[in-house]
Order: sequence, then C-alpha cells, then structure tokens
Amino acid sequence: MDRFQYLLLMGACVLITLPLELCLGSRVWRQPRRLAISLLPAFALFVVWDIWATSTGTWDFNPRYTVGLTLPGGMAIEELVFFTVIPICGLLTLETVRRILQVWGSH
Amino acid sequence: MPIYPTLAVAAAVVVVLLELRVLRSGLLREPAYWISMGICFGFMIPVDGWLTKHSAPIVLYRPDDTSGIYPIWDIPLEEYAYAFALLTLVMLAWDRLGRKEAVTYRAAFRASVRGSGSSASAGTHRTGAA
Repeated sequence: MDRFQYLLLMGACVLITLPLELCLGSRVWRQPRRLAISLLPAFALFVVWDIWATSTGTWDFNPRYTVGLTLPGGMAIEELVFFTVIPICGLLTLETVRRILQVWGSH
Repeated sequence: MPIYPTLAVAAAVVVVLLELRVLRSGLLREPAYWISMGICFGFMIPVDGWLTKHSAPIVLYRPDDTSGIYPIWDIPLEEYAYAFALLTLVMLAWDRLGRKEAVTYRAAFRASVRGSGSSASAGTHRTGAA
C-alpha cells in the first residue's frame, strides 16, 4: 500500500473538496471543457519545470511511496495527477467563496 | 540564491505581471480570491507537509537547491510561492474562459457591497432627491 501513498493523498484531496461541488453548488466539475482548458497552461508549464527539476536533481521522488511509473528524467507520474487535482481544489475553493460572498451580499 | 527559490519567486512574479499588465481581470483585487488563497494555504500545510516530511518524504529535495528555510514542518519556504503561482495561473485562465460569468459576478458583488454598506445613507439621499 505504501507505493500508493502519493496517489491516495491526491484521492483524498478530490474527496474532501467534492462537497463544494455537490453540496455548496460550485460549478467546476460540471464545466468539464472550461475546466480542462483552464488547467492546460499551468499544467504544461509546471510539468516542463518538473521534468527539468527532476532530471537536474533539484528534487526526486521516493520509490517507496510512488507507483514507479516515471516520465523521462525520472518525474513520477503522480505529479501529473498533482497538477490536475490541486488546481481543481483551488478552483472549487474560489467558486465556493464567491458563491458564499454573493449569498451574504444579497441579504 | 539557490535554483528552486529563484524559480518559484520568478514564477509568482510572472503570474502577477501577467494579470496586472496583460489580462487585467481584477482577480487580485477580489476579496474572494484572497480568502480562497488563505484557505488553500491552510490545506496546503497537511498535504504538502505530508509530501515533504523529512521522516518519510515522498518528494526529496537536494538541500543545495532549496532555501533551507522551513517555516512550518518540513515545507520549504519557496513552496508557498510555487503554490501561489500554480493556483493563481489556473484561476486567471478559469476566469478568462468564463469571462462573462466572472465579470457578472464581480459586478453583482460590488453592487451588493455598495447596497448593504451604504444603504441607509443612499436611501436618505434618494428620498431627499425625490
């Protein structure tokens, strides 16, 4: 199970923010096209940075806690999940805070 | 300065300049943005703390390439600039794609703040004018 630690952590991030979409009415997952396109620029930039940083040795991934699939240079594929999941958590937070402020403001 | 803090700060600066000079969406002036960033940084502590903890690290850094400053747990200081750049860039793109929605939201928010903040005086003025 240790090998799945990184992936499980990302799964936990998805689960913990899901109520923002399902209960608090943020519309992030429900706009898949807009979501996918808005993730792209940051995804491309941070993956290139990550591949470079891993191949030059700035950072590295512990084989004990990752599944072992890597991109050239040694970047763990979990990083691809990270650059998808973490921004989605951020967008869900932003949209939820906006909705809450909007509701408060309208009273 | 070591490479990681240099690049992380550069990324944060570039994203801020992108907004201020090119996109001018107003995101950085929006209270919801700063509240959200506060919440995200709060959740970053357990998540990134788990990834970087020296006792059982998932991500390992070459000490020479980091600032060596760890304000909370084993999270390098520059990681906050890195997270700021990543999240802000995605939020800017999100708003850019749903421009109408974001603009409508901000207009509604400003109107409601104005409405609730100065409703009493505005009301009197209006009555007076009428």
